[in-house]
Amino acid sequence: MAGSTLRIAWRNLWRNRKRTAFALAAIGVGQLAFLLVAALMQGYSKQFLDSITGPLLGHAQVHAPAWRDERAVDQALGDLPGKLAALRADEQVRRAAPRVLAPVLAARDVEGFMAMVVGIDPAAEIGTGGLLADAGSAGGPPGDTGGAAGLGGRRVLVGRGLAEKEGLAAGDTLALVGQDAEGSIANDLFVVTGILPTLVELVDRLGVVMLLADAQELLRLPDAAHEIVLHVADTERLDETVSRLAALPALAGAEVLSWRQLQPHLEQMLSFLDAYLFIILAVVLIAAAAGIANTMLMSTFERRRELGMLLSLGCAPGRLSRLVALEAVLLGQLGVLLGTAVALAVILPLASAGLDYAALGGGESYSASYQGISFTSVVYPRLAWRDVLLGAAAVLGTSLLSALWPMLHVTRLEPVAALRT
Amino acid sequence: MRIRWLTAGLAGLLLIAPPAPAGRAQAPGAPAVAAPEDTTALAAAAPADSAAPAVTELLRGLDELYESTGTRARVEIRIVKPGRTRTLRMETWSRGEDEALVVIEAPPRDAGTATLKVGRNLWNYLPKIARSIRVPPSMMMGSWMGTDLTNDDLVRSSSYEEDYASELVGRSSDPPGWLVALAARPGVAGLWERVEVVFGDDGLPLVSRYYDRRGRLSRTMRFTDVRELGGRRVPATIVVIPEREEGRRTELRYLDVTFDLDLDDDLFSLARLERRR
Repeated sequence: MAGSTLRIAWRNLWRNRKRTAFALAAIGVGQLAFLLVAALMQGYSKQFLDSITGPLLGHAQVHAPAWRDERAVDQALGDLPGKLAALRADEQVRRAAPRVLAPVLAARDVEGFMAMVVGIDPAAEIGTGGLLADAGSAGGPPGDTGGAAGLGGRRVLVGRGLAEKEGLAAGDTLALVGQDAEGSIANDLFVVTGILPTLVELVDRLGVVMLLADAQELLRLPDAAHEIVLHVADTERLDETVSRLAALPALAGAEVLSWRQLQPHLEQMLSFLDAYLFIILAVVLIAAAAGIANTMLMSTFERRRELGMLLSLGCAPGRLSRLVALEAVLLGQLGVLLGTAVALAVILPLASAGLDYAALGGGESYSASYQGISFTSVVYPRLAWRDVLLGAAAVLGTSLLSALWPMLHVTRLEPVAALRT
Repeated sequence: MRIRWLTAGLAGLLLIAPPAPAGRAQAPGAPAVAAPEDTTALAAAAPADSAAPAVTELLRGLDELYESTGTRARVEIRIVKPGRTRTLRMETWSRGEDEALVVIEAPPRDAGTATLKVGRNLWNYLPKIARSIRVPPSMMMGSWMGTDLTNDDLVRSSSYEEDYASELVGRSSDPPGWLVALAARPGVAGLWERVEVVFGDDGLPLVSRYYDRRGRLSRTMRFTDVRELGGRRVPATIVVIPEREEGRRTELRYLDVTFDLDLDDDLFSLARLERRR
């Protein structure tokens, strides 16, 4: 019987092709719009998250407690090897990159300029999410102590922005002057071996990147670093991982904070994206509801006589209302299917090629950075099955809801009265 | 009238020097600063036996405290931070308000490190790498030679003097003395909104207080240890207390000072800076 109801419902749907086609189009366009926006948002938010938690911030960081407030050179994490070993032993930790950061006065000749010493462990900085990620082959092989990257032995890489601004080139000798951890004047000469291309704005604009050991020596920070930047395997379990790491005995006295704690306003921006998505979904649902309700009402009113006859022939009112409900559901899901198909056709090619929204607006594509986090105008839309199902479920709910009135109408129909009119 | 803290050797070099208490308002011919109603208030407040001093005189005294055509001084600076105290000893030469040279004597690790100031320019000389580096404008607010002093503190000299209007407020009880208030002139973007200086009956400064744009006390300077230095009676110790930073202070102590020296032009040159050692 269910099969015959389905067949009848299907047939009924196509009795007025034009009307059904319009309803389908309304629902389809709604689903399409929702999926397009959702895919863009997903892509954007993924990119945003990757960018935030990229080389500079990481998923989490370890610091000496006062570091974030003052960033004084002596507020460093001691016993670095012990801390790194403990962190790297955790199965969730994919990367633990120690960094020494100190503002310095730099000069190639007598004219000084501002720079930032960035002491790194090259082996921990290669690959996506590392400071040397954009350095290409200059990154050196894993395990390399920096020789291949042009680091070590007071050799440094300078950020591209800094190099351009100050006219630095490989082979230049840089004098660096700062304050060491003991309060004395730190100063030494370093040789520039290369220019470091990086999206990390701080490093690009100010960075004098050197081997951790060189930075430790310059600033008198034996076995110490200011930050350990962590990347984890599963970002969904970040909070759990962070509290587990914070409890490590080797990290006693240090603070371990997730990027959400380090940059709360960035997290707010991400949740704002989600809220935006729900607004779009609501618009889609209203369009779908109107389309379905209208179609179903019209078709039940039109079929009063027919339905009256079915009732007088002994068809149960329940079956008739199920029929109406099924028509509504079929209409809704067919619309969803169409919308999804079109969305797939549009999004899938863009997911790999990327969508340059600056070009859409007729402008040049760009890369910008905000608080050390880089953004580009190219977004890679990502279609999540969750969103497809969300759309389908929402339309399903709306179909049933908007079929409610026609269903009631059918069950209350007086067969004789219906036949007479 | 100008405050030439730089001529005082370090006093000017180290921010420690109060920002020039309003100068040009009291240019010759300008009306007396204290308004008549203030004078009456003063008369009531002041003990009968001490007449209210003229603000211009007090400020001139402050201006000329360490001033001479050529000053050489040896100064010790103690930088106290929670958990750490660092002491620097240095020799300074200065001429006028535009030329100064500071050479660190101790601790040994920093010895020989020098700073040359000519006008608004600052050069640091680092003996270890035998380089002189000019401090860029972008780093003027940065640490001077790794101390708690900013580079700007060294070159600021008297630029404040045009930025403040002064008035004699009256007797102060803590410490006992004459209170002079300096107010930033409207439209002047400066660090301090208001500065108060208390002068003792001998005309020497006792304490100065610096208020920020929100009217909060942010720095207090105490002038103590009045002694004969180079033939003048001056406060030999200046203590700078940043009010909102627990446990921090900087103490500046003059070990010896020679005034009115005839200093070589050559002393304040880059070439000479690099020949030192």
